[in-house]
Amino acid sequence: MAQFPERPSAWGGLATLLDTPQKRYAAIAVILVAMAVAPYIFGSYGTVILTNALLYVLLALGLNIVVGYAGLLDLGFAAFFAVGAYTVGITTLHFGLNFWLALPLAVLLAIVAGIVIGAPTLRLRSDYLAIVTLGFGEIVRITARNLRETGGASGLIGIDSPWLFGWHIRTPLDFYYVFCALAILGVIASVRLANSRLGRAWLYVRHDEDAAEAMGINRVKVKLAAYVVGAIYGSIGGAFFAANLGAISPESFSFRQSVLILMAVILGGMGKIPGVILGAFIVILAPELLRDFGDLRLLIFAVGLLLIMLFRPSGIWPARSKR
Amino acid sequence: MSIFDIFTNQLLNGIVLGSFYALVALGYTMVFGVVKLLNFAHGELYMVGGFAGFLVLSFLAPYLGPGWLGVAVSLVLAMIAVGFLGVVIERVAYAPMLSAPRLSILITALAVSLVLQNGMLTLTKGQYVPFGAALGFGGVKLGNLFISYNQMILVGVAAALMLALELFVSRTQYGRAMRAVSVDKDMARLMGINVNAVIAITFFLGSALAAAAGSMAGAYYGSLWYFMGFLIGLKAFTAAVIGGIGSIPGAMLGGLILGLLESFGTQLPGVGSEWKDVFSFSVLILVLVFKPTGLLGKPEQERM
Amino acid sequence: MRNVMKTAAGLALAIVLGVPAMAQDTLTIGIMVPTTGSEATYGQDMANAVNLAIGEINAAGGVLGKQLTSTIGDDGCDAQLAVNAASKLAASGVVGVVGGYCSGATVPTLKIYGDAKIPLIIPAANSTKLIPENPGNAFMINSTGNDQVAKAIEYFNAKGIKKIAIINQGDAYSQDLADLTKKNWEAAGNTVTNFEVTNKGEQDYSAVVTAITAASPDAVFWTAYYADGGLLIRQLRERGYQGLIAVGDGSNSPELFKIAGPAAEGVIAFSNPTAEFLPEAKAFAEAYQKQFGAAPGPYSTLSYDAMKLLAWALNTAGTTDSAKVIETLQGANFTETISGPISFTPEKTLARSNFVVLEGKGGAWTLAQ
Repeated sequence: MAQFPERPSAWGGLATLLDTPQKRYAAIAVILVAMAVAPYIFGSYGTVILTNALLYVLLALGLNIVVGYAGLLDLGFAAFFAVGAYTVGITTLHFGLNFWLALPLAVLLAIVAGIVIGAPTLRLRSDYLAIVTLGFGEIVRITARNLRETGGASGLIGIDSPWLFGWHIRTPLDFYYVFCALAILGVIASVRLANSRLGRAWLYVRHDEDAAEAMGINRVKVKLAAYVVGAIYGSIGGAFFAANLGAISPESFSFRQSVLILMAVILGGMGKIPGVILGAFIVILAPELLRDFGDLRLLIFAVGLLLIMLFRPSGIWPARSKR
Repeated sequence: MSIFDIFTNQLLNGIVLGSFYALVALGYTMVFGVVKLLNFAHGELYMVGGFAGFLVLSFLAPYLGPGWLGVAVSLVLAMIAVGFLGVVIERVAYAPMLSAPRLSILITALAVSLVLQNGMLTLTKGQYVPFGAALGFGGVKLGNLFISYNQMILVGVAAALMLALELFVSRTQYGRAMRAVSVDKDMARLMGINVNAVIAITFFLGSALAAAAGSMAGAYYGSLWYFMGFLIGLKAFTAAVIGGIGSIPGAMLGGLILGLLESFGTQLPGVGSEWKDVFSFSVLILVLVFKPTGLLGKPEQERM
Repeated sequence: MRNVMKTAAGLALAIVLGVPAMAQDTLTIGIMVPTTGSEATYGQDMANAVNLAIGEINAAGGVLGKQLTSTIGDDGCDAQLAVNAASKLAASGVVGVVGGYCSGATVPTLKIYGDAKIPLIIPAANSTKLIPENPGNAFMINSTGNDQVAKAIEYFNAKGIKKIAIINQGDAYSQDLADLTKKNWEAAGNTVTNFEVTNKGEQDYSAVVTAITAASPDAVFWTAYYADGGLLIRQLRERGYQGLIAVGDGSNSPELFKIAGPAAEGVIAFSNPTAEFLPEAKAFAEAYQKQFGAAPGPYSTLSYDAMKLLAWALNTAGTTDSAKVIETLQGANFTETISGPISFTPEKTLARSNFVVLEGKGGAWTLAQ
């Protein structure tokens, strides 16, 4: 490696732009207010789409830890999303479990799944890992399709919406605010992780595995940590996705879903949180914007991804903004 | 049918299926061997090859008929066309990325695959397209085992193509250059080998083989679909890994093994058609975990 | 820089999400069908038929003195896209929705239409999983999977068939039909020799075909769609399977014959009545051909009837108030249809079975009974 790049900030260029605490607080306040009033501006359809975009923000932030921070290509991320959704679906429907008890169970199962699949495979070459995760994603989807407990191809129907301290989270607007909260928590956790000891270890491993190893970093352990953290994000997203839709089926957890989440991470810019958020909004809003193009919208999307990889591999979000 | 008949029938099914897997797996393995790139778009080249064969056949059928003659000519033309497509993809999408981090090039390959897939989706409006070949139903009956002429021709052509490739790589000057590049690209360049030409030839051959498989599948099974490359791409990769990625005989062996695993898996109680794919992907993961070099591959140090 | 981006993003959002201005002198009907993806032709055929019906209704004076217009929500046969499409339709102030082709994509939209209190008439989707999820505003005018299974079993019994193999494609519709068939068939003391699942787009069915021929059932029942069904039928016949081959209503398409070729001769299909077999639908088929330059699709007649039913319900209720419209639909005994009279069970499904038996002859479907 010719030169070790300057340590990138998880904020992309925002840190240089918002260089004083006052500017930062002002930006945060503007964003929070915008989030709070958005449903009243965009109406009920807009709220549903925005909720969906926020779900993808959460999922993309999770995948960003795996791909953007630790540099592991995961093509089966939808599997963890499925673990979360199905755990909540099965335990609340078949065992009458409360959603808030099902949620930690979903996270726990995703951690177990992450370790079971990650521990033996994370020492493999990065491209082998991509295929293993793809195969794992397909295994999860087919299993959900075949088992009676998961409702087969029709999936699970009639999943109850949760209560929170007497608040029945039920309408699209309720869920919008829930996903707002999840996305904010997801961003905070991502930032703290990036700045932690673990975050620095991921950076080293991504840039030079051998050097990282030489510096005393256990690369398999560090990669596994990224994989598991990603799994936690995915399962939380899945759990709330199930509660929001009330119905889940294996088709929601296909390879296409994994690719969509990956696109969100890459389009905006791997490793940069504002970029990932932008990417998540693009992958959800663009198909709605391009509804009139019919099948062409998928092609436009694919060509866009290719062009970005060729001409701007670091994503749409600028690495550092000029003043 | 007796157990023996079921066995011979599934053996035949596995060999036919395995031939397709092997042809597609060869392209994966060659490209991987030479440029160390996992060409995600390879399965799509199989799909495009099928459609190319269909297009050529619909032009040629009035002159050559929709039988084996027409199919053979369209097969060759489809191989050439898709071979060039492979070279173009390499030049446009992969060549600028070869020095980029591995993650970027993998994602680029994924993007190419999505472009091809969705491009065909737009062209065909997502519909299945009948291939339009008429190959007849004749064959030979051995007891309870019926082997159609089509199956014989298909397996024969696949074997001939693989043999030709093996001879090309092991006996010709280009083949030697290819092997040299696969061992050390920079050293090969210093030795006066035109590395770019070798890479182009590799992509051409790999893509042409995938197109051959796609065209034959279209003619043999009868229809085409824009998404047909996804599953076989995944399966062919599995085959290449089982055999040992980078190894040409390994890809052939892996293809056959996977074909047989699937056809016998369908018959196995507790697996069946329902769990067949879980079975193959589990084999893939197990092989990668316990013997990442596959059955015939050589161990290799990863360069980051 | 940042402000520019924000403004642009805001503008984009406003364009996507902006609620269309409502015109006062027309009523809008939502059409929710797949117009992209692998099921797009079916969806387009359905949308065409609804628009044809709207044209006729408008020519006859419209509904409640107002002209009808339509807006399409593309569900792409995908649950998530369908939720977006349904939210969009629900927010755009439609007075009713005709739609629902893929059962799996229709299920999660029921809650949305239910919450928005919009009457929904489902012309095609007929999985029994829809029934318990219906909040009360959805009416299924295609017979359900239960009716189809009853028809299939009746036919198998009449042919003296004892052992069948059932194959589905692992999607909501075909798996539901396969499960129901297996349950009822075994409950009647018969045998299911094979219960197989294939993947969509998988070309090679040889291993499944061998497993089936080894068990030699009297009949093979394919419960999924024509495209893969055509390939399966071809391979079954090529490998010498001699018994009966039957397919469900998802395979009722002339395309089946293009893919399966001569192997489809004698194949039996259980289907809802399509235009070519309905004497009352002759004028409809001609008008459709004239307007869209193609023959009506398998679900065109039911979509046409669905629109006529909705218009009738609005006129009869005398208001667009959804509670009244839904009440009118529940009590409907609507006979101005081309596919037969429509009335509903308390579960809001079609009160009679509309399934007919078709047989493949000379490369086309003919009425067998």
